[in-house]
Amino acid sequence: MTVPQAERPDSARNGQDRLEVANISKAFGSARVLRGIELRIAPGELHGLVGQNGCGKSTLVKILTGIYTPDPGGAVTVDGRPLALPVRPLDARAAGLSVVHQNLGLVDDRTVWENVRLGRFRAVGPLSRRIDGRAERQAVEEVLGRLGADLDVNEKVGELSAEDRAAVAIARAMQDHKAGGGLIIFDESTRALRKEARERFFELVNGVIGNGASVLLISHNLEEVVAVTDRVTVLRDGTVVETGIPTKETDEPALTRLMLGRHLLTHSRVDSHAKDETVARVRGLAVRSVSDFDLELKKGEIVGLTGLVGSGAVAVAEAIGGARQARAGVLTVNGADIKLAAGRGSTEEFIRAGVAFVAERRLEQGLAGELSVAQNLTLPRVRSRGSRLRIGGGWQAEETAAMIAKLDIRPPEPDKPVGTLSGGNQQKVLLGKWLAGRPDLLVLHEPTQAVDVGARHDIIAAIREAAEGGCAVLISSIDAADLAVLCDRVLVLRDGAVADELTGDLDQDAIIHATFGVSAPAGDEPAPAAPDVTGQQPESTSKGVVR
Amino acid sequence: MTDTTRQEPSQATAGGPLRAARARRPFSAGQFTARYAIIVVWAAMIAVYAGTEHGLFWSAGTFQTIFSSQEPLVFMTMALMSTILVGEFVDLSVPAVFSFAATILPVLVVNHGWPVWPAALVAIVGAVACGAINAFLVVKLHVNTIVVTLGMSTLLEGISLWMSDMNSVSGMPGSFGKIAIQDALGLPIDFWYGVILVLGFAYLLAFTPLGRHMQFVGASREVSRLSGVRVDRIRFGSFVFAGLLSGVGAVIAAAGIGGYDPTSADSYLLPVFAAVFLGTAIFQPGRFNPLGTFVGIYFLETGILGLQLLGLQAWVSDVFYGGVLVIAVTISTLLHRRSS
Repeated sequence: MTVPQAERPDSARNGQDRLEVANISKAFGSARVLRGIELRIAPGELHGLVGQNGCGKSTLVKILTGIYTPDPGGAVTVDGRPLALPVRPLDARAAGLSVVHQNLGLVDDRTVWENVRLGRFRAVGPLSRRIDGRAERQAVEEVLGRLGADLDVNEKVGELSAEDRAAVAIARAMQDHKAGGGLIIFDESTRALRKEARERFFELVNGVIGNGASVLLISHNLEEVVAVTDRVTVLRDGTVVETGIPTKETDEPALTRLMLGRHLLTHSRVDSHAKDETVARVRGLAVRSVSDFDLELKKGEIVGLTGLVGSGAVAVAEAIGGARQARAGVLTVNGADIKLAAGRGSTEEFIRAGVAFVAERRLEQGLAGELSVAQNLTLPRVRSRGSRLRIGGGWQAEETAAMIAKLDIRPPEPDKPVGTLSGGNQQKVLLGKWLAGRPDLLVLHEPTQAVDVGARHDIIAAIREAAEGGCAVLISSIDAADLAVLCDRVLVLRDGAVADELTGDLDQDAIIHATFGVSAPAGDEPAPAAPDVTGQQPESTSKGVVR
Repeated sequence: MTDTTRQEPSQATAGGPLRAARARRPFSAGQFTARYAIIVVWAAMIAVYAGTEHGLFWSAGTFQTIFSSQEPLVFMTMALMSTILVGEFVDLSVPAVFSFAATILPVLVVNHGWPVWPAALVAIVGAVACGAINAFLVVKLHVNTIVVTLGMSTLLEGISLWMSDMNSVSGMPGSFGKIAIQDALGLPIDFWYGVILVLGFAYLLAFTPLGRHMQFVGASREVSRLSGVRVDRIRFGSFVFAGLLSGVGAVIAAAGIGGYDPTSADSYLLPVFAAVFLGTAIFQPGRFNPLGTFVGIYFLETGILGLQLLGLQAWVSDVFYGGVLVIAVTISTLLHRRSS
């Protein structure tokens, strides 16, 4: 991140903690999700909270916001005053404790002022229960002014830029703060923001802290955490591994080691597995803003596809994977032609030709959460591997067990509903669902989005293994680190056309530069690098830009 | 790429996890209660009735009444289940389609002198056509399911009344009735049709590719589409299948009675829904399942018959079906929430 840690007055560190969490535990039945959590956040501090998926971060947030009742014996104290447990929303508001959720929790077709004041509307008078619009707008303007965000309070939130939406969410969270007080918990709030927007986001956050509030930042993005927070706390398996580590004295590999509790798993580039034999060929693809797109994929080759929103990179991948109907184009896989412009009720034809599409939104497009791991894993093959009258249990058990082992899916229980698994494990099930069919062309859309470090490692390893086995892989992603580590070449799309093709030893900065075009938006400074959660820089930093 | 070093050995070795998971699952009293609570209540209910009206309730006749009178409900609940499973929550037209087919048969045979078998075929084809019209409107034209089936329901009831001149039609040949009421193992054969249908449906869902696809379509259409499942074809087929089940059930019912009273259609709507939703509280908590529904049907009938033997009037069935529907849906919602 390019936003530096703000200089915080040392005096703020004296005296009472803003938030003190002591001995908080939570069990669901026999599962002990949190055990004796201790956490202290000083006034004016930006505190990071990291941990793998399923480590208990979200449970802790839900306890602090009163959704869950903690087990007896713990305490939560704000500015020296204990909060009654379970936390009551009005108590939390009075204490200045607020949360900004992952999706920011905004109602798009309502205005800025309505979003900020939601749940706090005041009526004009005792008789007329009409909302006092003028007073509400003034209050919101005042909060936005304090935040340093210049916004039209009457604009619909859905029409705002990502930065401004974040500002609205922050304004809502900080409006009840008393001068020099308050605590905002950002629960993966930056995930919805693109990199450019994050910079502005952290400027706003630093402004909030400048007013004396404290911030707890929960994030998967370790680089972001190291760059912006003062201290960091690491959770693993429901316990605090280490708390209050000054970020100046640590780095991402060290945090990763704490999170994983095992030696750091590293990825570096490996030699290409591409063989000189074409598996798939796309001719004349036209979809969304893209037209006349051609692509040839060799056996074992891993090709990246990237570009900003609207560049067409996503639409191309979806069309090739069968998820989106194109205007024109033919995909040839193993000699079989598939017309990409044809309307279809399902992706059956693609699957039969050996194409697998790993969708981005796993619980909307990839997996049925209420059905089991085994049922989800085997779905694409129940017709081809079973007879009409019987699916057959043997191959299902075998396939599921093999994928659970290969991808280290936890818990290793085939009958568990997929929806109860952590995000990283769901992503593994989704990948396994398609890898088990031994595809010839694997199309992936953001395969490591919002998964923890361990899951990312396993996913990258599995993709490589598929390529080694001769599968051609097409990855559509905005994660330059993933692309740099995995791909043999990366196609960069801009305004519906291939603007750049990067080959050779890929470097994530080069990919980011190419994505933004020749003049990188950050000016002379290098563009913000994607988080390198592998803990190891790519071995080569030479920029292999061709064309 | 193998440049990894893990301290923890991977627990999941090939072939292991399946067995390990099965062996590890502890016997859970809560789960057991959730699955079989209704059966326990059923047994308790029988015990109470037997205690309060001995002689009257505790006789072979009572049980024969319970088990030999529910064939129409079994077929209609399975028809409703067929569309509910693929995510169409409320096909309100099931009883009307049933009634439509059950009216066609005696009208053709008695009023128009048709032979029974061609008339039965026309009745079934008519019911299938109703299912196909529902399917076309809902699946192809994307009209709201409630509106389509509510309209169809009233339309078909009206046509049935017109065909029968608003009278009950009777006088079908007794020999044809044998397909329904012939004695088999002490019960009329139509009870066993129901058993076969329910077991077949349960098998379809649990073990066949089609059944698996139906479950996924019900869970998520987009996930199914992207997994190569022909979603619209399965949805269309479910409505047609529902029509077929209603039609076949209607022919058997009309044969057994020797005719049909088209004004009786409305009285089936609530029992059908009550039984299907009660079924979600049995065997597979929170899930629609054929076996649970089957048990639910006889549970409801036992309760009503017992109350009627106690001397309560016909209103008791409304109270019972309505009450059970609300309670069953509530329980199954709670169970589903707890399990997920």
